[in-house]
Amino acid sequence: MKRKGNMELDTNRIDEIISRYERSEESLLAILQDFQREFLYVPEEGMKRLSGVLHVPESKIYAMGTFYKTLSLEPRGRHTIKICTGTACHLKGAGLILETIERELGVNRNHTTEDKRYTLESVNCVGACAMAPVVVVGEDYYGHMRPSKIMDVLNKYK
Amino acid sequence: MEAITSTEQLDSYVDNLKASYDAEKLSVLICFGTGCLANGARDVAEAFKQEFDKQGLKINVDIGFKTTGCHGYCENGPLVVLRPKDILYLKVRPKDVPEIVEKSIKSDEIIDRLVYKDVNTKEVISQYQEIPFYAHQKRITLRNIGHIDPTSIDDYLLCEGYKGLAKALSMDPDDVITEVEKSGLRGRGGGGFPAGRKWRSCKAVSSDVHYVMCNGDEGDPGAFMDRSIMEGDPHSVIEGMIIGGYAIGASQGYIYVRDEYPLAVKNLHSALDAARGKGFLGKGILGKNFDFDIKISRGGGAFVCGESSALMRSLEGKVGEPRAKYIRSVEKGLYDKPSVLNNVETWNNIPEIIRNGSGWYASFGTEGSKGTKVFSLVGKVNNTGLVEVPMGITIKELVENIGGGVLGGKKFKAVQTGGPSGGCIPDSKKDLPIDFDSLTGAGSMMGSGGIIVMDEETCMVDVAKYFISFLVEESCGKCAPCRDGLPRMRQILVDITEGRGKDGDIEALEELCDVLTHGALCGLGTSAANPVLSTIRYFRDEYEAHIRDKKCPAGVCKSLITYSIDPEKCTGCMLCAKKCPQQCITGEKKQAHVIDSEKCIKCGVCKDVCNFDAVRIK
Amino acid sequence: MEKIKLKIDGKEVEGVRDQCVLDVAREAGIDIPALCYHPDVKASGGSCRVCLVEAHQDGRMKLVTSCNYPVREGLEIKTDTELVRRIRKGVLELLLARVPDSKVVQDLALKYGIEEPRFFKDEGDNYRNKCIACGLCTAVCEDVVGVSAISMCERGYEKAPGTPYKKVSDVCIGCGACAYVCPTDAIEMIDDGDTRKIWGREFKMIKCSVCGKPYIPEAQVDWIVSTKGKDRAFFDKCPDHR
Repeated sequence: MKRKGNMELDTNRIDEIISRYERSEESLLAILQDFQREFLYVPEEGMKRLSGVLHVPESKIYAMGTFYKTLSLEPRGRHTIKICTGTACHLKGAGLILETIERELGVNRNHTTEDKRYTLESVNCVGACAMAPVVVVGEDYYGHMRPSKIMDVLNKYK
Repeated sequence: MEAITSTEQLDSYVDNLKASYDAEKLSVLICFGTGCLANGARDVAEAFKQEFDKQGLKINVDIGFKTTGCHGYCENGPLVVLRPKDILYLKVRPKDVPEIVEKSIKSDEIIDRLVYKDVNTKEVISQYQEIPFYAHQKRITLRNIGHIDPTSIDDYLLCEGYKGLAKALSMDPDDVITEVEKSGLRGRGGGGFPAGRKWRSCKAVSSDVHYVMCNGDEGDPGAFMDRSIMEGDPHSVIEGMIIGGYAIGASQGYIYVRDEYPLAVKNLHSALDAARGKGFLGKGILGKNFDFDIKISRGGGAFVCGESSALMRSLEGKVGEPRAKYIRSVEKGLYDKPSVLNNVETWNNIPEIIRNGSGWYASFGTEGSKGTKVFSLVGKVNNTGLVEVPMGITIKELVENIGGGVLGGKKFKAVQTGGPSGGCIPDSKKDLPIDFDSLTGAGSMMGSGGIIVMDEETCMVDVAKYFISFLVEESCGKCAPCRDGLPRMRQILVDITEGRGKDGDIEALEELCDVLTHGALCGLGTSAANPVLSTIRYFRDEYEAHIRDKKCPAGVCKSLITYSIDPEKCTGCMLCAKKCPQQCITGEKKQAHVIDSEKCIKCGVCKDVCNFDAVRIK
Repeated sequence: MEKIKLKIDGKEVEGVRDQCVLDVAREAGIDIPALCYHPDVKASGGSCRVCLVEAHQDGRMKLVTSCNYPVREGLEIKTDTELVRRIRKGVLELLLARVPDSKVVQDLALKYGIEEPRFFKDEGDNYRNKCIACGLCTAVCEDVVGVSAISMCERGYEKAPGTPYKKVSDVCIGCGACAYVCPTDAIEMIDDGDTRKIWGREFKMIKCSVCGKPYIPEAQVDWIVSTKGKDRAFFDKCPDHR
């Protein structure tokens, strides 16, 4: 499935996602999450159409987009690097790994590299604490990560 | 799939399942908990399938094969269990699989290098219930996880699943509540509020609609027991909620699951479908005049949505902002209707309490904290993983007997319990029993059960800074004490850890804690003081070392430490010099190397790559 | 309606069901400072924490925000204890650090002995424009006006009211209720001759046919006419000359 970042959005995809759920306010967050997965961000057009279909003011949907951290209003990179900064990972050196990535990729936390290859984020616990420190790239989990090993892992992702 | 419409039908269906179940049949169970998956369990499973194919063994005909939820012994995954002997193989790799099939499946041998070996006695234990990690546990919540395929309702039924529901439906709803009250079950999410009392007050509120909800947000970093339950035994939660719905008179339930747990969402959905198919959800459950169904709602990356009123707003499709608890949610909760919100682990215990009776449940634990609790034992401990023990076990017993002691033989310093709302318990209080009231009395709290083990190389000021930074990011922003107070607390802690601490900083922190504790809107704010106050209470000397002496005794705070190379240990292999991003390590081949501390950014890479433990941090 | 008896600072007072302590106190002439509460905006209150008081009932005491704490039979409220003053002072110090320019907050803080906050102030790049993020503006827009042109965006420290994408809003009717209700005058509304500027949008104002004063945005009239069915001619004259 082609991912469209800033390019023209396929509004059929938006409508299809909206139609997956019950027409009630309860479905708002789930629909926004699905937009996020489909388009790598929550597009303004998506919020507008959702507002019209569910009769919820656009301002309230926009507020949700800025409140929930799994949603982003700006397109994310092709590969999202999630470094776990849960307590176990923090104690076992997640901080040093995060610094290594920031330094090597030249990008700060919650930002995307210029070439849109990576978005770097921190997550507050992925539940794999026995393997701390953990870095997740896309859907792949990497445990017992170390500053000297992380770049080899990241370079695998084009 | 035929629906089961009476208790008699349920009994007969299960009897048939049991009759055709061969307990002696050879089976391979592979742990697919997150830890093992991240360690390559999928490749191991694939290797087994290929080997069976090669050997002409048909799955489910010649040999059983199942992927299960988290076994808990995450440090030693990928885990493989062989039935019926209950042999546990640790750290299994795909290349071990042909040998396992040859020696342990086609024949009767045990492969020594893959089983547990006691570090001290060198005793080899192949039977997993006899390994100290499991032998000291009492697994009520985790009763099925690791034994059943979470996507198979038949597996759940074979383990007495939905028998609790059948029994509950034969009782008066009020008597169901009485049983829960008598069991002494207290909420497992953190609050520790007596579950039965919550149900009773909710039921007493007259309304056309009541709701039951499950809090699967599990925001505490370091806690993953709810995840394991939702992934590994989803029916236990569903059955508990149906019983709860029946007891308080609700016909609609919700499970709010953290978005970061996609497998839990998937397994819950498939379990709900299976339960509906069998008639455990829907109309006229088990032939009674009782309708009930459950919807799943996903979270959006907000720790504050673990707070009950924020969770309900989030469920309603709004921003997850808490509201003052002056009107309790048992009176006005979801959509302002009387609601019961309980944690995943709490719901999971309900079927067993009804099935075995409140007296059975109350026989475990302590006077004020009945039953067992699942803990995620993580951090600087040898056996990290999920463990379930009766309430009342001491910290020392948990960390040493089950946890196997501190990693690397280092000195035990403290445990942190209760996540960002909790505090630390130091070595001097190691004999404290772990139960709701003891932990609160010591300045911490039970929380969801995360137990973070800390050693001599953990800086307690850094820990306080870590938790306050976490809360700054998670604050919803509605009330001033939390929104505006936490960042200023963080600034003081940052200043202390970066060498700019000054006299009066500790007092300033305590004052801000005071404002938060009394002035904040919700639990996130009112308990934010705990990590700071408990570290000040037990480790004031560390704060003072940072402030007065500008030193970090644990060797963690970057601005206060220097990296150097021990000339006695350095072999001059030049590896660190090559990897140093600042190129600030010099030295000839086979000569001791030197770090230029002016240029050193303390990135940790040299210490990481050194094979001779020659890098020192002071 | 059934009367509920309670005590505030030792004085016997009466309230009705669901009434908040703050309203009952004010009716009885007892002043409790508050910023984010407005009696006509149901969803308001609970945010600034300035109106905290001690609530005593059944042998227990807790600090509660009087603006949304419902009166109960036998409740005893203390509005000026050492604890109340200490916490209120701490809250005001934090608010002053957030909006050091706000005269309203400066005056209130001074009453509690605070001239300068001891912690870092939001200034320069971090200037908060007197906004204490209390949510009264968005609550009035949603509940009272019914338009929801603005909402509370972002989470935590950055929480602030705004229009979607910070773009000019199509649905705002320029009524100015948000600016009117803001406790710290943080919302800029400029009425200049024929036009009103608010939330980055210029609204054409309708002039009274009698006195010639521009008194209501055309957009607001359009909205009232279309949603409430009122006759447009009703708005030819301003309230003083109707």
